[in-house]
Amino acid sequence: MTNKRTMTLNLSDAEMSALEVLAEKKDLNKTVVIRQALRLYQMVDQRMREGKKLFIEDELTKDKSELMFI
Amino acid sequence: MEKSLVYLQGPDGKAVQAELWDDISAEHVAHWTDSWKPEIERFRQRLEKDGVAREKWPQDLHWDWSEKADATRTVLAYQRFALVCEGRLQGLMLVNLVTSTGRLAAQQGKPLVYIDFVSTAPWNRPDFCDKPRFVGVGSVLIRVAVELSRAEGFRGRIGLHSLSQAEKFYRKTCSMTDLGPDTGYYKLTYFEMTEAQATKFTSEPPKK
Repeated sequence: MTNKRTMTLNLSDAEMSALEVLAEKKDLNKTVVIRQALRLYQMVDQRMREGKKLFIEDELTKDKSELMFI
Repeated sequence: MEKSLVYLQGPDGKAVQAELWDDISAEHVAHWTDSWKPEIERFRQRLEKDGVAREKWPQDLHWDWSEKADATRTVLAYQRFALVCEGRLQGLMLVNLVTSTGRLAAQQGKPLVYIDFVSTAPWNRPDFCDKPRFVGVGSVLIRVAVELSRAEGFRGRIGLHSLSQAEKFYRKTCSMTDLGPDTGYYKLTYFEMTEAQATKFTSEPPKK
């Protein structure tokens, strides 16, 4: 529903390859993968600016490690 | 902000045109504050006065849409919807596009639209009043989530955790798959809709 704007994105071979793998794995087109990445990055950035931390938990061992963002 | 037209069922069974807005505006929040909230509060007081046991109260009485709208206004991961009919706010929905992926084997790890919160106005709810004004607000909003999922390339996949009082709606009316209580999320029952279920759901006339 929202108007969309077009931009050119320059990626290295490795970045394009990673994008293609993700698109295939997630059953999405490449534009949607990039859009999802932006949404996630913005949400995580906002939560961290609010003083929250992001952890990755190992499902089996329940070990947690903090994910650092730049 | 844009609107599209959808239809609700009026008290006489006839279709009534409604506006679906693709965001929750300050005006929608003001409608919630001025019309829904006082009615919910009056209902809560009546339950208290009548000595109704807490576990029988509607489980979403405490939901504050003003807070939810404020907290999500600038976050791209959230999409918010408001349904207006006859000049009154009839429904609200908040969904997230990035925090959840499919749990059913057929769509494990694939993105879906996760419905965080969906509400219908107190005067449309049979648990609030004897004669609901409009029927189908919840179904319309679930269809909106499915359409959003398609538009995002998620093929109609949606998921949600249901309050126990709403489970029947998701199981029967929406024909979603019940994956049982989620011990990682307040033991609420988790429901998911696949691409095939979404196709069936949106191609059939809304169920009551």
